[in-house]
Amino acid sequence: MQSIDDQDLGTPAAKSEQLVTLEIDGREVTVAAGTSIMRAAALADVQIPRLCATEALAPFGSCRLCIVQIEGRNGFPASCTTPVDAGLKVRTRGERLEGLRRNVMELYMSDHPLDPFQCKAGGKCELHQMAAAVGLEQMRYPAGHNHLDLPVDDSNPYFAFDPTRCILCSRCVRACDEVQGTFALTIDGRGFSSLMSPGQHQHYADSECVSCGACVQACPTDALMEKSLLERGMAERAVITTCGYCGVGCSFKAELRGDRIVRMVPNRNGLPNHGHSCVKGRFAWGYATHPDRALKPMIRKRISDPWTEVSWPEAIDYAASEFKRVQKQHGRGAVGGITSSRCTNEEAYLVQKLVRAAFGNNNVDTCARVCHSPTGYGLKTAFGTPAGTQDFDSVNASDVLVVIGANPTEGHPVFASIMKRRIREGARLMVIDPRAIELIRMPHVEADYHLQLQPGTNVAVLNALAHVAVTEGLANERFVGERCEPAEYAAWKKFIVEQRNSPEAVERMTGVPAEKIRGAARLYARGPNSAIYYGLGVTEHSQGSTAVLAMANLAMVTGNLGRPGVGVNPLRGQNNVQGANDVGSFPHELTGYRHISDPKLRAEFEAAWGAKLDPEPGLRIPNMFDAALDGSFRGLYVEGEDVAQSDPNTHHVTAALSAMEIVVVQDIFLNETAKYAHVFLPGSSFLEKDGTFTNAERRISRVRKVMEPLAGYEDWQVTCLLSNALGYPMEYSHPSEIMDEIARLTPTFSGVSYEKLDRLGSVQWPCNAEAPEGTTVMHVGQFVRGKGRMLVTEYIPTDERTSARYPLILTTGRILTQYNVGTQTRRTRNVLWHLEDRLEIHPHDAEQRGIREGGWVELTSRAGATTLRAQLTDRVPAGVVYTTFHHPESGANVVTTENSDWATNCPEYKVTAVQVMPTRRIPERPTAEQIIRAAEQQIGK
Amino acid sequence: MDIHHLARMANQISEFFATGMEREAAVTSTANHLRNFWEPRMRREIIEYAKNDGAELGEVARAAVLTLE
Amino acid sequence: MSVRVYIPRDSGALSMGAEAVAGAVAAEARRRRADVAIVRNGSRGLYWLEPMVEVATESGRVAYGPVTSDDVGSLFEAGFLAGGKHRLALGATDEIPYLKRQERLTFGRVGIVDPLSLDDYLEHGGYRALERALELSGAQVVEELSASGLRGRGGAGFPAGIKWKTTLQTEAKRKYIVCNADEGDSGTFADRMIMEGDPFVLLEGMTIAGIAVGATQGYIYLRSEYPHALRTLNAAIAAAAARGYLGENVRECGKPFRIEVRVGAGAYICGEETAMLESLEGRRGMVRYKPPVPAVEGLFGAPTVVNNVITLASVPVIIEKGGNFYKDFGMGRSRGTSPFQLAGNLKHPGLVEKAFGVTLSELVYEYGGGTASGRPLRAVQVGGPLGSYFPASMLEVAMDYEAVAAQGGILGHGGIVVFDDTVDLARMARYAMEFCALESCGKCTPCRIGSTRGMELIDHIIGNRDRAANAALLRDLCDTMTNASLCALGGLTPLPVMSALKHFPQDFGLPGERA
Repeated sequence: MQSIDDQDLGTPAAKSEQLVTLEIDGREVTVAAGTSIMRAAALADVQIPRLCATEALAPFGSCRLCIVQIEGRNGFPASCTTPVDAGLKVRTRGERLEGLRRNVMELYMSDHPLDPFQCKAGGKCELHQMAAAVGLEQMRYPAGHNHLDLPVDDSNPYFAFDPTRCILCSRCVRACDEVQGTFALTIDGRGFSSLMSPGQHQHYADSECVSCGACVQACPTDALMEKSLLERGMAERAVITTCGYCGVGCSFKAELRGDRIVRMVPNRNGLPNHGHSCVKGRFAWGYATHPDRALKPMIRKRISDPWTEVSWPEAIDYAASEFKRVQKQHGRGAVGGITSSRCTNEEAYLVQKLVRAAFGNNNVDTCARVCHSPTGYGLKTAFGTPAGTQDFDSVNASDVLVVIGANPTEGHPVFASIMKRRIREGARLMVIDPRAIELIRMPHVEADYHLQLQPGTNVAVLNALAHVAVTEGLANERFVGERCEPAEYAAWKKFIVEQRNSPEAVERMTGVPAEKIRGAARLYARGPNSAIYYGLGVTEHSQGSTAVLAMANLAMVTGNLGRPGVGVNPLRGQNNVQGANDVGSFPHELTGYRHISDPKLRAEFEAAWGAKLDPEPGLRIPNMFDAALDGSFRGLYVEGEDVAQSDPNTHHVTAALSAMEIVVVQDIFLNETAKYAHVFLPGSSFLEKDGTFTNAERRISRVRKVMEPLAGYEDWQVTCLLSNALGYPMEYSHPSEIMDEIARLTPTFSGVSYEKLDRLGSVQWPCNAEAPEGTTVMHVGQFVRGKGRMLVTEYIPTDERTSARYPLILTTGRILTQYNVGTQTRRTRNVLWHLEDRLEIHPHDAEQRGIREGGWVELTSRAGATTLRAQLTDRVPAGVVYTTFHHPESGANVVTTENSDWATNCPEYKVTAVQVMPTRRIPERPTAEQIIRAAEQQIGK
Repeated sequence: MDIHHLARMANQISEFFATGMEREAAVTSTANHLRNFWEPRMRREIIEYAKNDGAELGEVARAAVLTLE
Repeated sequence: MSVRVYIPRDSGALSMGAEAVAGAVAAEARRRRADVAIVRNGSRGLYWLEPMVEVATESGRVAYGPVTSDDVGSLFEAGFLAGGKHRLALGATDEIPYLKRQERLTFGRVGIVDPLSLDDYLEHGGYRALERALELSGAQVVEELSASGLRGRGGAGFPAGIKWKTTLQTEAKRKYIVCNADEGDSGTFADRMIMEGDPFVLLEGMTIAGIAVGATQGYIYLRSEYPHALRTLNAAIAAAAARGYLGENVRECGKPFRIEVRVGAGAYICGEETAMLESLEGRRGMVRYKPPVPAVEGLFGAPTVVNNVITLASVPVIIEKGGNFYKDFGMGRSRGTSPFQLAGNLKHPGLVEKAFGVTLSELVYEYGGGTASGRPLRAVQVGGPLGSYFPASMLEVAMDYEAVAAQGGILGHGGIVVFDDTVDLARMARYAMEFCALESCGKCTPCRIGSTRGMELIDHIIGNRDRAANAALLRDLCDTMTNASLCALGGLTPLPVMSALKHFPQDFGLPGERA
């Protein structure tokens, strides 16, 4: 079912700019050429009955309700599939038409439960709406064959399929094909026996379905319904907000009945997602009201003590007094804070403001440190701004898509669907990844090239691609001549053409056949519009920043920047990792990526904030831990991040946390880090507050409060309380005032306001006087920094190398149904799809070690050891093992090391030398049945 | 802080710049990077180390660190 | 010199024992040391005479039939190799009135040549049309076709020239020729006879189409029930490719054209052109809406000429002899000839290629010889399972698209099925609805649900439950199906039902309609 307040014009908008005028029911209507008669009529407020048509899908022409008459043409054409033509005279009403429609509707109802009160979709059922619209009043057919005794398929955790309510309109099948691109559904059988079926006579749960929810949203009746709607009742109102999971930042409508949320449904007008969603944003929101939510402030003197529930003032006062005590005893720089990429821009801004103004130092960092900090360094160095160059819709103009170190179908599923659609339209695909990700081959999508490189050799492969582009005469010399620093280009060119950067020279080291690199380079360079999309497989390396620079070089030398369809684009992991960075979360930068050492800038902030600012950069997260073990760093305010689970080398992190005197954790759950905390401040989920998130395409979208914060305060209010207690007053009555302050202090945000966001839906920064409605594509005409910089990107192998003791390389990734360390998704029915993390190992490596499918193995690195179950697969090449890290007991970060990116200290999560051996020491972990039972208990099934 | 770790980080930085430019420019770029991204106590410790021992520091890294004072 | 003996390999002949006859002739010849060369030809289309054995004598081919293997000894005894007299002797084949009175343009070689011999095809004038087409521009070929007045023989009767012209004029990187060989209508076999009896003429027609409109790939979508046709077509394609009549450079003209056979999976709806394209693309055979028509956006979204076997097989004679030659046959807007397929309760079932304009009565009585049972003829269904039933009183209708339509029928693919007075038209009407319920693609509601409701209503009418009201509802349903269905399956199913209701109300227990 569509969202309760969606307006649907029946068929998608036409792209033509040419206008056509026709007559509909005597009214003159002017629309774009290619528009359907149905849409043209709807635009003129003439509603033509329909069931199989929706503007979210290409027209289909099956329901036959939308027939019209056209002067001079025979018969009764369907208005959804008939395009307008100049001068047409269309009639949508009349006894003949209405009689036929009524008769067709009567046929529908002859195989449908007749009692409208039984309809679970209530007044929102399009079938019943249409039955009323066409004036169906009687059922003349005697009882006959029907499908009214078919069983309901409720195998999916989130929705049920009731075939007795299905009208075979194929909207679900088409949504799965056109929108999601999974092709999991079909119409099975012929004629009267036709039935919608996932796979071949499968249950939903056993099929290829990825539970994106597109089919459920597309269904016009109560055949496909969210279980939450069935359980909680139909919505009465909807609030537009932004998803709190990944960096795609899908716009959603939270539908409510009273004050209770009944479902999340993607917003059709949302620009990142255009009405599409994934299983996480669409369904996995139950964690917000999960019984595990910690709703009371708590304190304790020592981390070995039990928690004591206290009042808000007591907790805040205790935290503030402890920070003050530590600073008094150990110096101003002995404390710091971590802003959250999961919280809003306004909240991240306040935390860094608290650190800089109330703590009086710059020891503030954010979890971008451990994911995309090399993106910040690399893209800022090369282009002048540390953000993706395009909007998502840019893909629709791409001819070649390059995916490097990212797994969009698992990590950024909604964007993956946009990519897949473009590929189905004919764009070519190149994947650079050690692992055979799903995108390499799936229905109607196949990569032209999969450069299956050894983990850690990204820079060598990227250099070789650029080498081919330059040496084979495919460089865009005009672009480089006009747009890039000439001296640096000359030096880079001299470097890149060297034989050691040739595909042949790097073939052995990278494991990628030279011919493949050459072919891929030609494909990319010839484009004409080639776009790079990348993820943490690029950044989380010792040469993460170098790899980002190398991608920038490749794009510049081939001229793939500054227009739709091209660019270099990070796929951001967290909903607001871009935003948290934008608003000054890095220790060396104030808002808008401006260095703290700039006296003029500091003066501006000092005046605005009424506080003295430290001119020196502060500690980054890993430095904080090092300093803690050193004794010079003893207090930490962590908002919405679980460093104990998500940061590398867990032993090191927990030792550092244990060494601190005051750790304040502000979170919605008692996470792993809270085990080392002295004060716990209950946080609020994205449903409980107002604010903004900024997604991977620099798009600032509103987060709107759907329900009151369960613990009493929104996170920004908690930060204000703490700051006030520290003696630095923060007075805001609404997050809009915080955004106004950011806008005043930040040139790239100067045009941003809640009023504008409400009006436009969202804006992409830079948004200022020059670009009042924001900027979709950056670096048009010239780079933000003026001339683009092409730095030499020598490949330097990581120190983390295999040895006789650690002969395999471990790399990590994600799975669709889970999110990061699983804090949220493990507290939803999503856990039913991913009961544990497993270690993927190539059958060859497994056989050598006597490892069997599903057998327990010990995974050992120089840093530590953990135990997992093995999964034998050739998705990974021999010599490489892989795991996800969604469950804390998997302890993937117990084995990861402290190696980090040279420029930003971003940890080298993606390369760890390990050994894997079968083990008889089976850890005490719950069995699958126990996990399922526990999960079902948790989700209240 | 762990001086081996700091030395290794400084070396990584200098290695990047040293491969792409003349020595003097590499020294300057490395020093700038340390100034821009390293918190003062980290810089203090690495300077101390470079002055007194510095064995684990590469040539460019050490030269850069010594310009920080 | 050896004597050529023709024993058909056509499925119809095989089903009557042609294989055993061929074996017996070979054995008997060996035994008698007679120098016999057996040619396995296609069928002449005189099915009541199959297996019909022909012998090439000095005075031409003479026929014997129907021959069983038991007759072979006596045939040798009678000197059939020299045209000797025998109780099965039919005389000179060409003089058999059933054949002699036909106008065989498209079927000119069927039953005469060895379908697997390209040389035989060439000796009988094959590929002359292609050679001529290669000298003309694409537009000239299309013009010739348009001039002939050829209309689609699959059933819809759409002018082939317009289709070709549209595809020719649509700019695209890739274009296709798709031959609809999903011959699913009950009582039809013309496509099969061509494919089994003269496959090269189809390949030649497709090649001309491809070269003319700029298509490089042709597909023959063959129904799965035609295994012999599949083998014959594949052998013919291989032979044509080996001699450069297909391939990367057709007859050194610089243009490529390839043909592949794709076998369907038994769905009647895949004979509908857009469902066929879906099926060819690897999807469920589901009808597409039009426009866009396939000529503009067809297979894999590329401009595609979709024509029936007979349409494409008629192209060579048109291009070779000129559009005007072809146009001189026929009447009104129905030009040329059509292969009428006589089936059902008839003495002489078979294929009759005649110019449009021949009456149904001529076909049924003069060719078909009246009912096989000898009982009075009661109804004739023209145009396949979706065609109307004509009562005996209406057989003077001329076989012409417009004339048949004027009588509330369709010519369809030229299938004519005859019933004697034992037929119950109410049952036949019910069968039409049942057929639709089974074979509907399930996409549009009038067809998917309406057909089942129609079947149930007829059951109620037959069972005399609320007969008048249900009959009225049935008529209303038929009107809805006719006017609101997506394709011809749902749209035409009412034809047999309504014609049965109209002409045979008594079978439904209903009073006769007032004229």
